[in-house]
Amino acid sequence: MSNIYFAMLLKVPDFYWLFRLSSSNRSQSLVVALMIAAFFPTFFFNTAAVAQTKTDRLSTEELKKMSLEELMGLEVTTVSRRPEKLTDVASAIQVITEEDIRRSAATNLPELLRLVTNLQVTQLNSSAHIISSRGFNAAFSNKLLVMIDGRTVYSPLFAGVFWDAQQVILEDIEQIEVVSGPGGTLWGANAVNGVINIITKNSKETQGLLASLSVGSYLRNSGTLRYGGKISPNLSYRIYAQHNTRDHTFLPDGMEASDKWRISNGGFRMDWTPSPKNDITLQGNSYRGKQETPQNPSFWDGQNILGRWTHALSQNSGLMIQAYFDRTWRRDIPSTIDNELFTYDLEIQHNFALGKSHRILWGGGYRSLDDHTFNSTEFIGILPNKRHMNLLSIFVQDEIMVHPEMVVTLGTKIQHNDFTGIEIQPSSRLTWSPESTQTIWTAISRAVRTPSRIDVDYYLPTYPVPSNAPSVQGGPNFVSEKVMAYELGYRIQPDDNITLALATFFNSYDDLYSVDPLPGTLTYQIQNGVEGQSWGLEASGTWQLSQDWRMKGGYTYFDKDLQNKPESVYDVLALGNDAKHQGLLTSNMNLWGNLQLDLSMRYFGELPQPLIQEYVGFDARIAWILEESVELSVVGQNLGRKKHIEILNQIPRSLYAKVTCRF
Amino acid sequence: MSILKVLANQLILVLLFTNNLAVPLYAQRQPHLNYQIKAVYLYNFTQFVEWPETVLPADNAPLVIGVVGEDPFGGYLDEVVQGEEINGHPLSIRRFSQTEEIQGCHILFINLPDAAKIENTLDRIKGQSVLTVSDHHEFLEKGGMIKFISVANKIQFQINPDASNSAELKISSKLLRLAEIVTLSNH
Repeated sequence: MSNIYFAMLLKVPDFYWLFRLSSSNRSQSLVVALMIAAFFPTFFFNTAAVAQTKTDRLSTEELKKMSLEELMGLEVTTVSRRPEKLTDVASAIQVITEEDIRRSAATNLPELLRLVTNLQVTQLNSSAHIISSRGFNAAFSNKLLVMIDGRTVYSPLFAGVFWDAQQVILEDIEQIEVVSGPGGTLWGANAVNGVINIITKNSKETQGLLASLSVGSYLRNSGTLRYGGKISPNLSYRIYAQHNTRDHTFLPDGMEASDKWRISNGGFRMDWTPSPKNDITLQGNSYRGKQETPQNPSFWDGQNILGRWTHALSQNSGLMIQAYFDRTWRRDIPSTIDNELFTYDLEIQHNFALGKSHRILWGGGYRSLDDHTFNSTEFIGILPNKRHMNLLSIFVQDEIMVHPEMVVTLGTKIQHNDFTGIEIQPSSRLTWSPESTQTIWTAISRAVRTPSRIDVDYYLPTYPVPSNAPSVQGGPNFVSEKVMAYELGYRIQPDDNITLALATFFNSYDDLYSVDPLPGTLTYQIQNGVEGQSWGLEASGTWQLSQDWRMKGGYTYFDKDLQNKPESVYDVLALGNDAKHQGLLTSNMNLWGNLQLDLSMRYFGELPQPLIQEYVGFDARIAWILEESVELSVVGQNLGRKKHIEILNQIPRSLYAKVTCRF
Repeated sequence: MSILKVLANQLILVLLFTNNLAVPLYAQRQPHLNYQIKAVYLYNFTQFVEWPETVLPADNAPLVIGVVGEDPFGGYLDEVVQGEEINGHPLSIRRFSQTEEIQGCHILFINLPDAAKIENTLDRIKGQSVLTVSDHHEFLEKGGMIKFISVANKIQFQINPDASNSAELKISSKLLRLAEIVTLSNH
């Protein structure tokens, strides 16, 4: 909830004075702000996704039974999402592997996402994180698309992600792909500055019992239980449940914050391969969270279910159909608003080869969103209370092999949304691999961030106010934010043990968010009064020093220059508090006697506005593999300082012990 | 049978038969799908190629697939050929860390980083009727026979029939039909 408070300060700084109208001193205004803040609870949710063909889960027997023709038709990527080799991809991708996850100190998704430096992860309080890519790190961080197994999890209420509702059993994650830069052509609106694609394992690979228990100082306790089995040789499943309780953080002044929270979730996944050409997945998840606040507790909960069918039509064509339903609800206290959202989504994707050198991928989708808000005060609100939204999209992409070493990819997505109508997001990419161990790639793309309810339906207060009194009255004319992105990257694997990647970009933005008064009045509206540029560099690498020692590292440089368009007076600094420099170094070592030592150090540069000092975070993990099926570990997080500030609250140094059993 | 009963039975089975779900670290992970496919191709090639009787006598002498250089398959290749035989010849795998060690194989997968080493290896086994396979981009130019290529995220292959002919290997027309044929004009 304080994330919202912060959000309000960040995003609508013009109104800070408004809060003061009703209160003569700062602490009172803080209370008012907090009330407002509570505002959006956390919802979560989201949208579009493309599907994944899981060809890479074939058993040896299945592969051997295939004819040569069938082998030749096997896709080694999830339909253009899953590159066979990182060196071949024409975008700035960094990957978190299951091994990285197993050896990390992370206890949830946001902590895990600190393992890549093309994201800026800032922890606001005990439950809230702000995660952005290529800038614009603000509470309503909205230019990033996040998907879990093909289900989009951003909220159309504010186009951001409620990270405290995204619970996944970390041991069940196969990998996380983090693409910085636009992904709008394939992935859809919101993939302006990046895409996070979280993929969990096929249930065939999570057979048996997994039980783990953690106890610690900040992660008070965490328990996970998962069981995977097979109903027939081709039909496997897993069921799981998890519970976490986390302690409070500290307010900027050092006092204890009232932000202890806990969350439980449970779910299942079933994978059925009725024939070698067909794969069917059905999965569902349900969660419920509760957080203390200075007043009454906040609550959130949600349920989702997703089905996917992938079908090989022939040796070089395939079809994927996916549908999901998602409900999410939250109420923050002291809250002024409840929000409940229902999403229904259907996606179809088809790929085929055209001649020898063309490979076409095309598809479409429809999403229906029902958003219900309940404003319990007139001071602030989202109006109308109910809004039904539709999203229609089609996309097509052609991968052309112009030369054995050169591939050109052209594509576009055309999307229709209720706020701005048709949006077109084309991209062109080129990869040149002079050798199998190195690739140079470049891309030009256009992407848009379509309006969310907070851009259009936001009122402060919700009753009519004369134009000589301050008010915010939605954004009736708000249009999509736009970017043109120019990227150039290089990847090399100088030998088997070293990989290096470098990506650079220059982005040109137009129609960015602003809150500006209508001429001659104090009536503010949400508008598109800002434009600007950003540029930066992302380097990452891995080095396997020996069979038992691996190091990984990354460095990101980012800078931006935003300007007001004529007539806009909005404070452009409110659009994002971005670090110029950020670095990471991790080391994973196997020691003698089944001991593992994992260290991670991250450097986070100064944030300009509000000014936050640079900091160095340090995590360590020592694990002992006992009896092959039992693992004991002791993990320290944020060991560098007793407490540090990332953006608002002080995050404490912490320690936890964990026992994991697999049978 | 109720689902609960199935679950219970499964649980008992799992408890009975668990041994090691040991957590392998960097060692022996399942190779990436593209190497799984390549391993299965290597296995398949044994059925589409005829070796001269001198190198593959009629009795049950093993048909050996060799790997030179770093083994990209992990143990997967062994898993693929385990228990398999082709016309009475059991299949087996041999690994060579250096070119000098190569001997007694019928198919050789060459995983060496530079073209000079590959050329050196091909020279060394010239005249031995070994089907040579690699995914190095200059493999055919250096005189290799089959090169794996990635076409739109699929693993396919090119064949240089001149090279296999001169090694007295008979590649079946079916394999040739599926491959992209590469003839090097200056050879």
